[in-house]
Amino acid sequence: MYDKQYEILALTLRYWFLLLILYIFAKCVVRTLKDVFSDSPSERSTGNIPFVLALFSLSSFGLLAMQDSQNFNKETALLGIIISAGVLFQFYLIYFLFPGIDEILLLMVNTLSIVGFVMLQRLTPELALRQVEWFAAGCIILMIILLFFPRVKGLKIISYPMMALGPLILFLVAFIGEESGGATSRLPVGQFFIQPAELVKVIYVLVLADSLKNEKTIREKGLLFLFVAASVLGVVLQKDLGGALHYFLVFLFVYQISTNDWILTGFASGAGVLASIIAYKIFPHVRIRVEAWKNPWSDIEGRGWQVAQSLMAMGSGGLVGLGLGLGSPYIIPASRTDFIFAAICEEFGILVGGMVIGFYALIIIRSMHKASMAHNPEDMLLACGSAVSLAVQAFIIIGGVVKMIPLTGITLPFVSYGGSSMVASFALLGLIQSVSIKNYRHAIEMENQADSEEYSREDEDIEVTLDEEEFYMEGAEE
Amino acid sequence: MKHLKRNIRGASMVLLSLFMLLTAYFYYNLFLYSDRWFSNPNNARVRVDMDNPHIIPGSIMDRNQTVLVETKSFAEKNGSITYYRHYNKDSKYAAHVIGSRQYGIGAEVLYIKYLLGYDNNLFERIYQKAFLDQEQGNNVILTIDMQLQKYIVDAMGNEKGSVVLMHPQTGEILAMASQPTFDPSIIHEEPAEGSLLNKAAQGLYPPGSIMKVITAAAALENIEGISAYSINCKGVTEVDGVVISCYGGEAHGNVDFTRAMEVSCNAYFAEIVQKIGWKQFKKTAEAFGFNKDYIFPDIKTTKSHLPVSRNTEKEELLWSAVGQGKVLASPLHMALVASSIANGGTMLEPKLIYGIQSRTGKIHLQQSRKIAEPISSEAAEILTNTLIGVVENGTGRQARSVGMLIAGKTGTAEVGADKKPHAWFIGFAPADNPTLAIAVILENSGTGGSKAAPLAARILREASKLGY
Repeated sequence: MYDKQYEILALTLRYWFLLLILYIFAKCVVRTLKDVFSDSPSERSTGNIPFVLALFSLSSFGLLAMQDSQNFNKETALLGIIISAGVLFQFYLIYFLFPGIDEILLLMVNTLSIVGFVMLQRLTPELALRQVEWFAAGCIILMIILLFFPRVKGLKIISYPMMALGPLILFLVAFIGEESGGATSRLPVGQFFIQPAELVKVIYVLVLADSLKNEKTIREKGLLFLFVAASVLGVVLQKDLGGALHYFLVFLFVYQISTNDWILTGFASGAGVLASIIAYKIFPHVRIRVEAWKNPWSDIEGRGWQVAQSLMAMGSGGLVGLGLGLGSPYIIPASRTDFIFAAICEEFGILVGGMVIGFYALIIIRSMHKASMAHNPEDMLLACGSAVSLAVQAFIIIGGVVKMIPLTGITLPFVSYGGSSMVASFALLGLIQSVSIKNYRHAIEMENQADSEEYSREDEDIEVTLDEEEFYMEGAEE
Repeated sequence: MKHLKRNIRGASMVLLSLFMLLTAYFYYNLFLYSDRWFSNPNNARVRVDMDNPHIIPGSIMDRNQTVLVETKSFAEKNGSITYYRHYNKDSKYAAHVIGSRQYGIGAEVLYIKYLLGYDNNLFERIYQKAFLDQEQGNNVILTIDMQLQKYIVDAMGNEKGSVVLMHPQTGEILAMASQPTFDPSIIHEEPAEGSLLNKAAQGLYPPGSIMKVITAAAALENIEGISAYSINCKGVTEVDGVVISCYGGEAHGNVDFTRAMEVSCNAYFAEIVQKIGWKQFKKTAEAFGFNKDYIFPDIKTTKSHLPVSRNTEKEELLWSAVGQGKVLASPLHMALVASSIANGGTMLEPKLIYGIQSRTGKIHLQQSRKIAEPISSEAAEILTNTLIGVVENGTGRQARSVGMLIAGKTGTAEVGADKKPHAWFIGFAPADNPTLAIAVILENSGTGGSKAAPLAARILREASKLGY
C-alpha cells in the first residue's frame, strides 16, 4: 500500500508547495514595489528567498523520488539535491561576482526554471536532467555576458554583420531544417537539435537596439525595415507562426519606444493585421488554428484536441492542483514544451499558475525599470527590447494555452523544455542584467564625483572665510 | 532620452495590462467552466476504470432515495472482482437525466466530481486513503421524483417531445422527460438515432404563442395603461404595413390585453411589440434568459435564440413577438419562464441535485440561487391573472381542473405547411401559491389547447396528488 501513502503525502504537500511559491512571489512583489515606486530603493539583500527556493526544489524532488511504490528513487533525490545546491551556488556566485545585478530578477528566473525542472522530472525524468544541463549552460552564457558586455562601448562594428547573419540563418533553416510538429525550425547538430529562431532572437534585439538608438536617415531606416521584414519572413517560411508573431511584436514595441512614430507603428500594425487575415484566407493550417481557438469542443477528436486537453487539465487542477504525481499531465500534447503551463496548473493548481503569470509580469516591471534608469539610449533599448522579447513570448504561449488567443507553438521562457530556448532566454536576461550593472557603476561613479566635488567645495568655503578674515584683518589694520 | 523614458513607461503599461487581461481571462474562464471541463467525457483523468477501480463511484438516487444507478461487483472464478454500474429497471424513464458514461451524457458524466468523491475535503480524502480498503465516492441525490417521472413518460405515450416539471420556489426539477428515449442499461445495442439528445434542456423549438407571455411582460413593463388598450382583430389584420393572421384565420373582434391573451390573438401582440420597440422587447426577453448562455452547475442547456436587432425587418420582429419568426427556445427555458412568473418575477437557477450524500450517510443539501429578476412582482401578478383567464375561459380551457387553479398559456408553433404544428403549454399551479411549474411540448401533435394543455393538467393533478 505504498501507493496510498504517496497519495496522502502528495495531497498534503500541495499546500506546502503553494505556500513556498506564494512566499517567494509575495517577497518579490514587495521588493519590486519598493524598488520601482519608492524614492529610496531597498537595501541590496535577498533575505531567505534562495533558501526557500532550495527547499521547494528539495521537497518536490523528494516527493517525486517516492513516487515509485517499490523503492525510493535515489537518482531523483540526488538530482533534487544537485539542483538546490547548484542554484544556491549559482545565485551567490553571480550575486557576489557582479555587484549591481538585479538579484530579484535572477531569483524569479530561477524559480520559474525550478518549477520547470519539477514538471519535467514528473513527466519525463531524462528530460529534466538534460534541462538542468541547459540551465547550467544558460548560466555560463549569462556570466560571460555579464563579464564582457558592460565593457562594450558600442555595437556599431558588429551591427551590419549581424543584420546579414540573422535573416540568413533563418532562411537557411527554413530550407534545410528538420520538420517537427508542422514547423521546419530545427537543425540537427550532432545528437541534439538547435532551434536557430530562438538564438536569432538575441541578435534581433541587439540589432534593433543599435539601429534605433538615435535619429536615422530614411536610408538607414529602410535597411532596418528590410532586416525586420527578412527576419519575420524567414520565421514564417519555417511555418513557425508564434515565432513570426513574436518577432513582429518585438519590433513594433521597440520601434515605437525609440521613435515615438505613431504613424509608422500604426501602419505596421495594420499591415500585420492584414497579413494575418491573408494568412487566414490562404493557409489551411492557420485556419485550423483559429477554428480550434474559437471552439475547441466542436471537433475535440481533431483540431480542438490540443486546446481542449489543455483546458481539461487546468479545469481538473482546481485551486491547489491534483497533487504532484497524482494528475495525468502526460495526456496533454506537448506537455513538456508548449503546454507546460497547463501541466503546472493541473498538478500545482491554478493559484501557482497565476503566480507563474505574475512572475513574468514582475520580470517586465523590473526590467523596464532598469531600462528607464539607463544612461544612454542604446542601453535603454537593449534592456527594454530584451524584456519585451521575454514578455511577448510568455504572453503568446500562455494566452494560447488558456484559449485567450489562437494557439501558436512557442516555448515558455525558462520553463519549457528546450536548450535553445533556455540559452536564448538567459542571454536576454544577461543583456538586462548588464544594463543593471552599468546603471550601478554609473551611480557609483556619480557618487564618487559628487563626493569629490563636495570635498572641493568645502575647500572653497574655507578659502572664502579665510579671505574674509584677511579682509577684516586688513580693515582692522587700517 | 526623456521621450525614451516616457515611452518605456508606456510600453510597460501596455505589456502589464496585457498580462492583467491574461490573468483575468484565465481565472474568469476557470471560475465559469472548470467543472464542465473536468466532467467532460473526453477528460481521461476521470475515466472510471471498472476492472480495477481506484475509487468506487457512488450511486445516483431520486429524491425519495430510490437507487437509480449503483456500482455492483461480482467475484470471477479466478477470484478477481469485477465491478459494473447497475441501472435500476426503471432507469429508462429518466434516461436523459441519469445518462450514461458510454454516451457521455447526463448525471453519470456531469456529476462525476461527486460520484468519485473529488469534492471531498482533505481530511475525508486522507481518511479514506489511510483507513479504508477501497475508496468510495459520494452518492448524488437528484431532485426528480421517479414515480412522477414514470407517470409523465407513460402519459406522453408515443408522442415525441418533452415535459419539464419544476418547483418554482426552489428551482428543483421534479421531472424532466424527453421522448424518444433510450435504455441506458442496455450497453450492447446502439440507441435509436436522436434518442440520446435531452430535448428538455438542449432541444430548440419555435415557441409559438407562449412567446406572447414574454411580449406581454415587456408591454407591462414598458407601456402605461396597457391593460386597457384594445384593438379590433379581423382574423387577417394589417399591422403597420405587415399582414398578420391569427391561427386558423379566426377573427377575434375587439380584444383588450386579457382577452387577447385568452384567445391568443396574434394581431394584438404584433401591434403592441410595435409600440414597445425591438430594443425594450429584446431587453425583457433577455432578462428572461433569451440569448444567454447559462452555465448551470447541474444541467447542460442550449442557448435560446431571439435574433432581433436594429436591422431586423419589421415583419420578422412582429412575428417574433408571437413566437413564430426565428425565435427558438428550449422546454427547460420555457419552464423557467413559467416558474419565474409563478415566483413573483424572480428566476431561480434550475437544480437537478437535491443533495450529496457522503460516506457516513450525511446529506449536504444544495441550494438554488437567484439568477435573474426579469419582471416586477406587480407585473407578475397581472400576468398571473391573465394566464388564469387563459385556462378558465381561453385557449387553455382543456387544462381546467376541479380543485386546482391552473394558470397557463398554450402555444401552437407552425413548422411548415405539410406538417402538424408543435403543441406547447406552459403554466403553473395552484395559481394563488404556485408550487408547480410546467412546460410541455409535443412535436407535430396538433394545437397546444387540444394536445398539450390536457396533458399538462393531468401531470399537475398527479403531482399535486403526490404532495407537491
